[in-house]
Amino acid sequence: MTPCAVTTGFFTLGKCGQMAVAGCPACGRAVCADHLADGGMCPECAAARRQFGHPAAAAAARRRAYRHRQAQYYGDAGYYSGFDDYDRAAFEPGAAAHQDYLDDGDDALVDS
Amino acid sequence: MHRAAYLAFDRFPSAKGSAVHIRHMAAELFDRYGGGLLCVLGGGELPAYQREGGVEIVRFTDVVPNLLDRAEAFSRWAADRLAPHRDTLEICHVRDPWGALPALSTGARLVYEANGLPSIELPYAWPLAAPSTLAKIREREERCLQEADAVVVPSRVIVKAVTGRGAAPDRVHLVPNGADPVPADVPRPPTAPDRYVIYVGALQPWQGVDVLLRAFARLADRTDLTLVVCSSVSPARARPLRRLGERLGVRIQWEHQIPHADVAAWLAHADLSVAPLTAGPRNLDQGCSPIKVWESMAAGTAVVASDLPVIREVLGDHGRLVPPDRPAELARAIRVLLEYPDACRELGERARRHVEAGFTWKHARARLADVYDRVEAH
Ligand SMILES: [Zn+2]
Ligand SMILES: [Zn+2]
Repeated sequence: MTPCAVTTGFFTLGKCGQMAVAGCPACGRAVCADHLADGGMCPECAAARRQFGHPAAAAAARRRAYRHRQAQYYGDAGYYSGFDDYDRAAFEPGAAAHQDYLDDGDDALVDS
Repeated sequence: MHRAAYLAFDRFPSAKGSAVHIRHMAAELFDRYGGGLLCVLGGGELPAYQREGGVEIVRFTDVVPNLLDRAEAFSRWAADRLAPHRDTLEICHVRDPWGALPALSTGARLVYEANGLPSIELPYAWPLAAPSTLAKIREREERCLQEADAVVVPSRVIVKAVTGRGAAPDRVHLVPNGADPVPADVPRPPTAPDRYVIYVGALQPWQGVDVLLRAFARLADRTDLTLVVCSSVSPARARPLRRLGERLGVRIQWEHQIPHADVAAWLAHADLSVAPLTAGPRNLDQGCSPIKVWESMAAGTAVVASDLPVIREVLGDHGRLVPPDRPAELARAIRVLLEYPDACRELGERARRHVEAGFTWKHARARLADVYDRVEAH
């Protein structure tokens, strides 16, 4: 039996492991009947397609969106002042207090 | 189409206290609204998309090196994720301005959980951030806090900071963190030393782990004793403290990013748990509700902690308070408690009963449910 390779769980994640019934045509991973999504894809690839049309287009679309850095992206932006290059400079990876803090992608703005 | 959304510029799940917090708060929200949308940070092995029953989890996975750019990109991404649910969304629960701003634009009710304020906390990790930049961040915080239907805070200390930013006092609600009871027979971790003092948590400077290391250097005569540091961050990020430990010749056992489910056992079998928070503005003005202290109490392990208002709120007289930033005083307190094991055990027992009587996550969720009741009734 090929186990389903879809990641499940809310706080503790693991592989689904149920018997796979198909392979995702986009990423090739084994998918069980419960996890089979639109187009016979795995949930992740199906979500990417809903969002961007095709999984391959996803990365490109996100890059485009990122480059599109104007202030008017949500609601009534402009209500407050935008960040400029001077503001941003202090948050370049090299500007962190502890260079050692950067290697595990810890993004939190505040900590509990 | 979802009725509820929870947004956090935090990786979820992760080994950090914030993830434990998100887990319980989001669970309350999603149980109440028959599921919902969770927008968080991804990375590593975390899938970009999951559906778990009625809950959809979407993770922001773009690699954006600059933190401010990343936060803004997250905000735009979150706005896009919320857009399809505009007509059905009744409530958004957020933890930071970058989640709050897109949530506000949906017109849904906003619950802003202020565990910390980036305008206070960011300069610790980003010392080059200019006052004018922090003022802009503060401006965003003010906007979000003023418009929030409810502001949830974990500690009384932060109330002043949020009302000072325009939150209406009658909309600010205290929901302290908590911890779940630890079974009395939880097995000893196989690699645990015979006798050890434990620190659990992250290693930012305001955690005061360096003070603890210096205190431990003064306990060198206790050759039976090991300091166990359960670090929620990777070995590389612990490097400066590991170097300090070596220089001081302290006997330390480092445990990195152990699964949250295993932490309780480490706490339960420790002689003492230490929360050496420093007396800087982060802890004095902003406050926190340190999950490590709650979890130590729930494990029935006596706590030695810095005498700060935020700690008094949690620990009350069910632990031993010491002046912050004073290694000698901390060392003395640890030594005395170890010399009176019965008193030490009694202290831990009392702390456990205190948590079980009113500060488990079940209690925290019930307090949050009251907040949702009030927001809905408005
Ligand atoms: Zn796939
Ligand atoms: Zn499956």
